[in-house]
Amino acid sequence: MVEKSSFGSSIMETITENLPASIVIVATIVLTIVIGVVTGPSQILNSIITGGMWALLAVGLALVFGVMNVPHFAHGESFMVGAYVAYFVFNPINTSLGESPNPFLGAIAPFIGILAAGVAGLILGVILERFLFYPLRLRTKQGWVMNAFLLTVGISFILTNGTTLVLGPNFRGIPRYWDVPPLTILGVTMAVDRVVAFFIAVVSIACLWFFLRRTRTGRAIRAVSQDELGAQMMGINLNFIFPLTFALATALAAISGASLLFMFQAYPTVGLQPLYMAWYVVMMAGLGNVIGAIVGGFIVAVLQTATQQFFGISWADVIPTVVMIVVLLVVPQGIFGSKIRSS
Amino acid sequence: MASETVASVHVDKTERANPVVSFLHSIGFTPLGAALLVIVALLPLVPPFNQEHMIRWLIMGAFLAAQAAAFDFTAGYIQVVNFGFAAILGLGAYTSGILTNTSPVLAVQPGISPWIGIFAGAILAGLVGLGLGWLTLRLRGIFAAVMAWFVGIALMGLVRNLTELTRGPLGMNPTSLLETTSNLPYYYIILAMMLIVYVLLRLVTRSNYGLAFKAIGQNIAAAKASGINPTKYRVLNFALSAFFAGWLGGFYAHYFGSLTPQTLMHTSKTVEVLALAYIGGRGSMWGGMVVAFPFVFGIEQLRSQFTELAGLHLVIYGALMIVVMIFYPDGVAGLVNWVKEKISGARE
Repeated sequence: MVEKSSFGSSIMETITENLPASIVIVATIVLTIVIGVVTGPSQILNSIITGGMWALLAVGLALVFGVMNVPHFAHGESFMVGAYVAYFVFNPINTSLGESPNPFLGAIAPFIGILAAGVAGLILGVILERFLFYPLRLRTKQGWVMNAFLLTVGISFILTNGTTLVLGPNFRGIPRYWDVPPLTILGVTMAVDRVVAFFIAVVSIACLWFFLRRTRTGRAIRAVSQDELGAQMMGINLNFIFPLTFALATALAAISGASLLFMFQAYPTVGLQPLYMAWYVVMMAGLGNVIGAIVGGFIVAVLQTATQQFFGISWADVIPTVVMIVVLLVVPQGIFGSKIRSS
Repeated sequence: MASETVASVHVDKTERANPVVSFLHSIGFTPLGAALLVIVALLPLVPPFNQEHMIRWLIMGAFLAAQAAAFDFTAGYIQVVNFGFAAILGLGAYTSGILTNTSPVLAVQPGISPWIGIFAGAILAGLVGLGLGWLTLRLRGIFAAVMAWFVGIALMGLVRNLTELTRGPLGMNPTSLLETTSNLPYYYIILAMMLIVYVLLRLVTRSNYGLAFKAIGQNIAAAKASGINPTKYRVLNFALSAFFAGWLGGFYAHYFGSLTPQTLMHTSKTVEVLALAYIGGRGSMWGGMVVAFPFVFGIEQLRSQFTELAGLHLVIYGALMIVVMIFYPDGVAGLVNWVKEKISGARE
């Protein structure tokens, strides 16, 4: 049994022990400086803020793969569900606020929407795990990764088309969460929503980090990711750990969908781009590597900004794939390594 | 796998002497399958199936059936999902479309005959499959699936961006294969193509290569221990499947006469084929083909009955796939074999 993820080592160790990672990080920093010189600090700030969101999404993906061995292809649909829930919770509150203004409620309403999305994500995650992955696990463990992958493809297909069926293909969005003037950071004007979205990402990742490192249940999750059988022998109940892990990942994606509602809006296929980005990050960082996913989120955001800056936005699908081919050729296990080659 | 042995045992026992049956068997057909094929071939001559729109549906059915066979060749045998299948098919379609172009709308007018263009598209698709397989199939299967998805999205991006060659999202109109407005000749062409895809792939799976594919799909470590080089066989399988995808794409280009990246190369198109192959029964190749025809008709019925419920058929698709996946992985092929077994059991 190979170790599926590396929660164990600290960030510094992971970086210094890993040559490709250090090279990529240095290259990313150089690229960031080049972007900064060419376009000014606005693009750098942009990359950092987008990076936080990609990191939040990729962490969930890495967690599900690391612990459950599920290549989660419906992660974008969790994002979509989060966006819808936030919309349907926030919008009525906002409308009633328009009639009777209340500054406190106005400041707190977006958080209510985002929190609701997180809770909805938890519930959705438990339901999906219980009713789909659990029966599949009971039936057979053979070819699990491929079967689980196809199962998530089916889930994604149903959720996307089911949403179209029920709610229609139209866009539901909000112009902004907080109706306040934009902030100015380092001479760059930034919408408050974007800054808050970034902090939500940072806080969520920090909470997850604390949970995984410091609590008993979190340690149990890490134990399962390192050695499923061994963890079971230590009395860890997989039928509790798996739904919990899946629910956490779904909730993280739902939270990012909710906090980016002002940017992406809510529509049935909104999850496609976030899904692509999250997969891109974990493929680059190393499947199932949670720390790698966090750092990778920022690296990919810089790469994305650079592509848009130097090649134009229409090449945004093509250039990253070329980069990915190079990564797979040189370090197929991902730049932060996850020790899962072949078979 | 198991399905085939059951079928062949059945044939060997009862009808070994009959040369027609043994010939059919040698190209991968049971008498029942051959009968179904004849029925499908004669359908467009009988009312109500002789109306043009019905023939269009039949063409769609044969087109999907051939895709399902080519897809299952990879997914069912070496257990690798080619998640960029539709994009590779689209690559073949666009290549052929550009090579045969004569209109001044596009930047180049090579004006090659479509009959050659189709094969050029297929070869390019096969080469992309070869490269992609060589890159990713040394790793775990999931890498190939995700990377094929990335490459598929990149191919779509390329088609969208190279507007001088493809007209991008506006779509291009390749020349027709035949100078006729009737659908019937096209139906027999795609039916023949479907047969060729199935029989050739079946012959491959019957050979030693097929044995290696199955061994790799079932237990890669054991296959390695028996001296099989998994990478070599997996890459070969992947490339062959991609070749046929590109070939079918060429037919699409010169039959429908309109190509846009969104309707041809999108991931949801791959998922449709995938669902078909899995509902039909993975590893059988014929399961998806049998399911394809009734499915196209069922879906068209659903679409015309519930016009206000757009996407209902896709939800049903997905739900069926999940149910088959979790509870009955052998799919329709498994069901048919189970019935056959019962019948032959009752006879003895």
